[in-house]
Amino acid sequence: MRTADAYEAFALRGLCRSFRHFTLRDVSLTLPLGQIMGLVGPNGAGKSTTIRLLMGLIEPDAGQVELLGHAVPGDVAAAKREVAFVTDDMRLFGMASIAWHMRWMASLYPHWDQAYAAQLLKRFNLRGEQLVKGLSRGEHVKALLLLALARRPRLLVLDEPTSGLDPVARHELLAELMDIVRDEQRSILFSSHQTQDVERISDQIAFIDRGRVVDVRDKESFLERWRRLSVDIPAGARLPELPGVVDLTLGERLATLTTDRYDQDIEGRLAAAGAQVHEVQRMSLEEIFVASVMRSRQGDRS
Amino acid sequence: MNRSVFWALVRKDLYLQRGLIVGMLTGGLLGLALFVAGSVYKAVGGAGVAVGGILFMTANVAGGIFLAMFTLLADRKELTRLFALSLPISGSRYAQSKLVGGYVAFLIPWVVLTVLAAVVFLPSPAPMRGMLVYALLIQFFVLALFSVVVGALFVVSSELASGLLILAVNILFSLFMVAINQPATIAPFRGPVIHWTPFAVWMFGGELLVTVLAIFFALSLAARRRDHL
Repeated sequence: MRTADAYEAFALRGLCRSFRHFTLRDVSLTLPLGQIMGLVGPNGAGKSTTIRLLMGLIEPDAGQVELLGHAVPGDVAAAKREVAFVTDDMRLFGMASIAWHMRWMASLYPHWDQAYAAQLLKRFNLRGEQLVKGLSRGEHVKALLLLALARRPRLLVLDEPTSGLDPVARHELLAELMDIVRDEQRSILFSSHQTQDVERISDQIAFIDRGRVVDVRDKESFLERWRRLSVDIPAGARLPELPGVVDLTLGERLATLTTDRYDQDIEGRLAAAGAQVHEVQRMSLEEIFVASVMRSRQGDRS
Repeated sequence: MNRSVFWALVRKDLYLQRGLIVGMLTGGLLGLALFVAGSVYKAVGGAGVAVGGILFMTANVAGGIFLAMFTLLADRKELTRLFALSLPISGSRYAQSKLVGGYVAFLIPWVVLTVLAAVVFLPSPAPMRGMLVYALLIQFFVLALFSVVVGALFVVSSELASGLLILAVNILFSLFMVAINQPATIAPFRGPVIHWTPFAVWMFGGELLVTVLAIFFALSLAARRRDHL
């Protein structure tokens, strides 16, 4: 294993995997240590498949996976020592209690933090003696998260972790996740279609759709580069060629354009062409995501 | 650590299946007690022997099927496999741990019941002693059936297929009982001497071969699998 400075939290290079009705194509993603990556995509986009490949649960047809410096699937057991993975369709053992699970995990993980586990138990309003089969969906997710967080993993991989959580628990979880990455050696991969959650905590964001990574960059760059402009075009004036126009809706005099390469120069070029910019709107991550996916799908069709 | 995770998973299976293990043991012991009581006390008589024998075999066969199902099929159906695979263990080692967990859970009551069945026949009056071979043939047939179910569950995942598997196991066991209870087959076992007839030798060899092949099949399948869910 290499030294901590020499590797990323994970690196996926050119991953491909075909199933009967779905194909994951050429997925490449890298997360440096100490960062949170949000993996955003609609249902069936390939988020869970990507995560399962990362965790060595399924093997790729082509491409390479590196997890905390270990090759996967070859060295997956060593890699998973410092990785915690939670997904919304994961279940604990129904006939055992939460306390049994905590003791069992403590026996497996040398870094298990019992005090932190007890604190989370209280915060999540769970009781140790509760049998897992009697837990509600939200309680079950909280128990899974407790067992993952108290391992003190260096990489936390969460596949749709907030589904099934009430707003308070969701808020607490996100705060907890942000707290974890205060330690610069800890990282999180977080998949969701809840763009508000991703926008709130991620450093990097990857959009995935129909088995392909549509776009990946740091959050600030997404939010700074995307704008929706309302432009008044007087008679005789024409819209100039502008960079990165993703969507253009033309009315009689009013045009709405969406660009992913916004800078002050665009307004100057519009003004020079006789058009008047009424409004420049910042876009939410959800709007950026939808526009990115639509552009990608249009590209597939043309 | 991989080694400790492996055994932790085996221990977990034993803990979760403890009810079934105790149930199989209790049913088998009760059956054996009734069988002995029927052999010794005239008041209990043939009914005790028959009911005891059926209870003993049912505990073994049903216990084996349930243990295999709950150890190997339930973790896929109940999605606990994903949680277990999040632990520091590879997919093929995890499959091996399920195999070992299933066998240990089954062998604990099976060994106790087989040894006790042997103890019942060995010191018994001379006319009963030959039945030791009969008892061993049944017990090893149950072990072979368990191994077939375990091997099949490494491939089968649907409820329909697992239902058909149980049906096939029951039919196989019934056919075996019909074959072993044919007058010409069982007669040599009723004697005072332990007599390994050609039928007994071939059957015993076949049972061991099926057990070994089923384990080998399950292990090689686990080693080759690309998807571990």
